[in-house]
Amino acid sequence: MKLKKSLFIYFRLFNQHLKAILEYQADFLITLVAAMLTQVLGFIFLWVVYQQIPEINGWGFWEVAFIYAMIFFTEGFASLFFDGIWSISRFVNRGEMDRLLVRPVSPILQVLGSAVGMNGVGNIFIGAVIISQALRHISINWSVGMVVIALILLISAIIIRVSIYMAACSSVFWTHSPGNAFGNMVHTVSDFAKYPITIYSLGVQALVAVIVPYAFISFFPAALLFGKTDWSYFGYLTPLVAIYCAGMATFIFNRGLRRYESAGN
Amino acid sequence: MFQKKYRSIAKITMQNTMAYRFNYFISLIASLIFILSMFYLWKSIYAGRTELAGFTWDQMKAYLFITFLTNSLVSWYSETGISRKILDGSVAMDLLKPLNFQKARLAETLGSSLVEGLIGAIFISIFVILFAGVLVPDHIFTILLFAISLVIALVLKFSIVYIFSLLCFWTTSAVGIAWSRAAITNLFSGALIPLTFFPDWLKALASILPFQGIVYIPASIYLGKIQGVEAVQMICLQLFWVFVLWMAGKIMWNWAVRQVTIHGG
Repeated sequence: MKLKKSLFIYFRLFNQHLKAILEYQADFLITLVAAMLTQVLGFIFLWVVYQQIPEINGWGFWEVAFIYAMIFFTEGFASLFFDGIWSISRFVNRGEMDRLLVRPVSPILQVLGSAVGMNGVGNIFIGAVIISQALRHISINWSVGMVVIALILLISAIIIRVSIYMAACSSVFWTHSPGNAFGNMVHTVSDFAKYPITIYSLGVQALVAVIVPYAFISFFPAALLFGKTDWSYFGYLTPLVAIYCAGMATFIFNRGLRRYESAGN
Repeated sequence: MFQKKYRSIAKITMQNTMAYRFNYFISLIASLIFILSMFYLWKSIYAGRTELAGFTWDQMKAYLFITFLTNSLVSWYSETGISRKILDGSVAMDLLKPLNFQKARLAETLGSSLVEGLIGAIFISIFVILFAGVLVPDHIFTILLFAISLVIALVLKFSIVYIFSLLCFWTTSAVGIAWSRAAITNLFSGALIPLTFFPDWLKALASILPFQGIVYIPASIYLGKIQGVEAVQMICLQLFWVFVLWMAGKIMWNWAVRQVTIHGG
């Protein structure tokens, strides 16, 4: 019952922001096109590389394309539905968190629903096209079990992505920095996970597999789905990593919230 | 052309850049992550190969470092600075000043680039020491031509950023515009991949666009891929584009400024 009510409130918030954005149609279109362009041009880069060589480290074109697209696809979900995370710094620094705290709804829910990033639509769309093309070109033994696993991996990937942002942006409770510098920095680290992590040195691998687990969004699920036996077992950890990340993000946010002091009047 | 007033603007921006080091630091880390992921990607692409599309691995390394240098030259700071002026209406104050808007912004860009270029150069030297084996041109004449080409590349990149920023007179989606510009520039300037890797139709398209003057031309001169008369011709091509885009920016400004509405005072 509580979940149902939360979802209801979340989508009411979402709808209101959506209406506000659609008011400015040109802006909406530009952000949409920009997001699609970024992903497509990066995809062209991969394609050009694979015109010259058949495989990188044992990974074929469509396999890498899948990894690449997963990064953008989950990014799209994070910006479309959870863009409010990036407003935490504004809430904290301007004392606007007060407004959220006096309402009888969970502050996390209100933060998540406090903005809509329309660039997400572009990322999700192009990401879905590339992912479906990739899955068509790679031979996978699709069984019912495999479909269920793929869905679980996808949902886990989105949860991991959102949780990492949530944890990174909550740093503002301690630093009080005016922008999202730290969040942006953590965001850029996902650049590493656009390609199979086998190409990196051990340090970078540890960074994206353990410290900021972006590899569980793209690389490990891909290894599991495509049966890359060296790495596929890690893929089974993905749901656990998602639970861990979500727990940590909530913990950090709540800890931060306890430190929150209003701007005062 | 560069009177004292513009020199003072450049100086003030230099001081500002040094005062707000943190933002620059973050953008530096972002381009560092980008270049690192590219480095490892190319390293595994070259595994077991000596040459691809006329580039050896040593040349490719040098190419990547030049990409990093040119990428960190025109900063995010100057990119967002111009559009912010337009969006928050402070462009009205600039209209009151006896300054040419375009020249003043160029002065700002050069000022901040001087500081950031310097820090970038230090980083590059550290890299060269760490991953020893980056090629250095053996001819002083080549280095001279490269330096000239690099400076023109900076002005060229500014001209492109300027035109894109002016679009903010018609839309408020500054981020969308910056993303699109970055995506297009990255692919067609050769920052992602040297243009010689492109299939013919894409190469033809890139050669009629101005973007190759930002990375590909300076890098090719550095590597001695284009020499002597041809190098001079390419530099002339860069100059031609600077001229055309500067004029285009001027016309656009004159047209845009007539439709400014600024709310409140």
